[in-house]
Amino acid sequence: MSQKLIRILALIKKEFLSIFKDPKSRALIITPPLLQLLVFAHAITMEVKNIDISILDYSKSNYSRELISRFSNSSWFRKVYFVNTKKEMKDDIDLKKSQIGIIIQNDLAKNIASKKPTEVLIIADGRQTNSASLASSYASNIISSYSSELQKTSSASVNVIIRNWFNPNIEYKWFLTVSLIVMLSMVLCLLLSALSIARERELGSFNQLLVSPLSHSEILISKTIPPLIVAFISSIIITLIIVFCFRVPFGGNIFLYLISTIVSLTSIVAIGLFISSFSYTQQQAILGVFAFQTPAVLLSGFVSPVEDMPLFFQKISLINPLRYYMLLNKGIYFKGMDSLTVLKALIPLIGISAIMFILARFSFKLKVDN
Amino acid sequence: MNCVEIKNLSKNFSDDIALKDINLSFEKGKIIALLGADGAGKTTLLRLIVGLLCPSGGNIVTLNLNPQEEKEKLVNFIGYMPQKFGLYEDLTVIENLNLYSKLKRSDDDFEKLLDFTTLKPFKNRLAGNLSGGMKQKLGLACALLGNPELLILDEPSVGVDPLSRLELLDLVKKSITKNTSVIWSSSYLDEAFSFDLSAILDKGRVIFSGNTKLLGNNYETFEKKVIELMGGYQAHSSLVAKNYHIQEYSEDCTVVADNLSKKFGDFWAVKNNSFCIKKGEIFGLLGPNGAGKSTTFKMMCALIKPTSGRGFIMGVDVEHQATKVRRYLGYMAQKFSLYTRLSVYDNLNFFAGVYGLYGKDKKEKIERMINIFELNEYKNTLTSLLPLGFKQRLSLAAALIHQPPILFLDEPTSGVDVIQRKEFWNHIKALSNIGVSVLVTTHFMDEARFCDNISLFYDGEIIALDKPNEIIKSAKAKDMNEAFIKMIKNKRLENES
Repeated sequence: MSQKLIRILALIKKEFLSIFKDPKSRALIITPPLLQLLVFAHAITMEVKNIDISILDYSKSNYSRELISRFSNSSWFRKVYFVNTKKEMKDDIDLKKSQIGIIIQNDLAKNIASKKPTEVLIIADGRQTNSASLASSYASNIISSYSSELQKTSSASVNVIIRNWFNPNIEYKWFLTVSLIVMLSMVLCLLLSALSIARERELGSFNQLLVSPLSHSEILISKTIPPLIVAFISSIIITLIIVFCFRVPFGGNIFLYLISTIVSLTSIVAIGLFISSFSYTQQQAILGVFAFQTPAVLLSGFVSPVEDMPLFFQKISLINPLRYYMLLNKGIYFKGMDSLTVLKALIPLIGISAIMFILARFSFKLKVDN
Repeated sequence: MNCVEIKNLSKNFSDDIALKDINLSFEKGKIIALLGADGAGKTTLLRLIVGLLCPSGGNIVTLNLNPQEEKEKLVNFIGYMPQKFGLYEDLTVIENLNLYSKLKRSDDDFEKLLDFTTLKPFKNRLAGNLSGGMKQKLGLACALLGNPELLILDEPSVGVDPLSRLELLDLVKKSITKNTSVIWSSSYLDEAFSFDLSAILDKGRVIFSGNTKLLGNNYETFEKKVIELMGGYQAHSSLVAKNYHIQEYSEDCTVVADNLSKKFGDFWAVKNNSFCIKKGEIFGLLGPNGAGKSTTFKMMCALIKPTSGRGFIMGVDVEHQATKVRRYLGYMAQKFSLYTRLSVYDNLNFFAGVYGLYGKDKKEKIERMINIFELNEYKNTLTSLLPLGFKQRLSLAAALIHQPPILFLDEPTSGVDVIQRKEFWNHIKALSNIGVSVLVTTHFMDEARFCDNISLFYDGEIIALDKPNEIIKSAKAKDMNEAFIKMIKNKRLENES
């Protein structure tokens, strides 16, 4: 065995020992990702179910009763409150008793009977932008389908059929759980690598390492592999849980999926090591992790699609490894992204890794020589 | 009247017995030396007296209070200085004092205290940037706040140079009243000899307690008696040097420093340091804390880039071929720098691997080191839990495991008990006899006589470079300790005028 290899293996083994030998740090690596997966998958939702509705019916006719019954029979809406004045409706919405209000004018029956257009007012709670727009679109769907039924007898119409690809029932859980694979492996990978050198500096063992025959590159290589392996295995476990426990069907090529996970995690280790290379204490390293993590998550397409961002931020997200990781992970998982498209996303990741490793190596040397 | 009364005290840590059936009483108003080998239970006993640990059996009365139940009350009368620097390294000297005086609700005059401890010129310096001796003075100053009745000092003089040690001792003696009691744990026997009472622990038991003079009327007999009580030491041939193979080399000067200088900001830490260490020579760097010894060390193993000058090891330029040079080196840092979250065995295994050992050869070498340094009992213990002296043994074992022809030892014996120190030097001498060159620093002046050549360092400059006997002769002193104090004091006066 070459001396170089013996040295690197010794350091890699030591890294694993210091991660897994201490029961506390072992528990910290295994428990939080699993717990977060279970909690987030169930707690975070952008779907709007359980909407309570307040209805002010001035018309009190057969037509209005028919319309109201469609609201109360819809699965989107939970409770229907009847109010008698506009003031009552305002209070309901103010106090968040209901999220949406419907006002039916008293000329509804008369206008329908005389085949004239009529209006129904929907009031939505704009304080919760997303659920307001969803709730009001559900409400207007109900109203317009009622309206088209009224017209059916008389005129022809164009009916819209919507088919959602890759996630046929627009299950929010699908989108979320698969994004969680990326989030959780990223955090684990970033933390382990960012702490590795900083901890040695803080505890003083780093000098002992530096006076050994290990070269700077050998140290960096040995510090790359353990976080990479730990995060890779954890991402596989999370994926398996999502496929078999959450029953989100895996639609792509497993080989491409594993390759893109490894490449994505490598770029994150490179960033972690760069942070670690200039941190003197573990505290500084953790702050460095936060400084990277928050913007990286926000610009990854997890919170809002990259295509909807202002152009400037779209450009910035081109150097965000998490964007590509998110794209690859979801693309392969749901769409069965083909190899050429995967390759196109892998190239920038490899570029980012290379640049970050060079920077880490440079800043590492700078700090040693001071 | 006693300040501390201990009856049938025992303390276990899970399965390990730290203290067993201790009976002790310390008279009030005296200075008490607490002595004992590494891991004898000194720190545990002190922590029990302060109330930081709960006894497993028996009872303790400190200043007529029960340290477990009446700790709140007790802390007002106690000044405690832990072994490890217990202050905030990222606060300045004055901020540390402020914080501790507020915590203790004392209204001491800082100016007086700063004057007294000679810390005044450094009052706005970060505590982390103080030299070892000054840190201990600051720790002592904080312990002295609020005029405690009982002062508990856990190895305050570890890593402190002889002059600062003298000052520290003076400081304590001057700042206490005749009602103040001091418990001072130490591995320096000369300090202990100057105290009123002594207690010696061995493997968790008390083996002596009483008037110091009972152990001997002069220092030599005192030292002999203490060593005898602690199990005695018999010189024997070093097991380390046996089976130690170094590669043949022809260089006459194995380690050469050529005008090494290092400037931090506008402060010269080291100025024009030159020396040459011959094959098999033990070269001692002596000097007060902050003189630039560790900086010289770090430049010689390429941890710090010199501002000017060059270092050579085995004829190879240290700065430009660092990786090549390091294979020849065994390095033991001043601060314990192995992996505290790994066991003793895992640490040795790691360093053996890093130096390219593998397979059966590696296993054998690790086992040998464990046997030689008596680490068997602690083989699977996390190093963070090791007693200080055992940490030093492990560091030395890790530095020697790949059998380097050159050893750099930065205060290898600080915090090590008197018997182990003899053992350490037995190994070092035996290694030099088979051709290992050693660069060593120490604050134990009695160890200086083992060196072939000594460089006395002050303010980054060499003030003397000669054989130990010549240095003692030229200073007209009776021993190295006196020579050191005389020469440093003279230099200080010279610089001031």
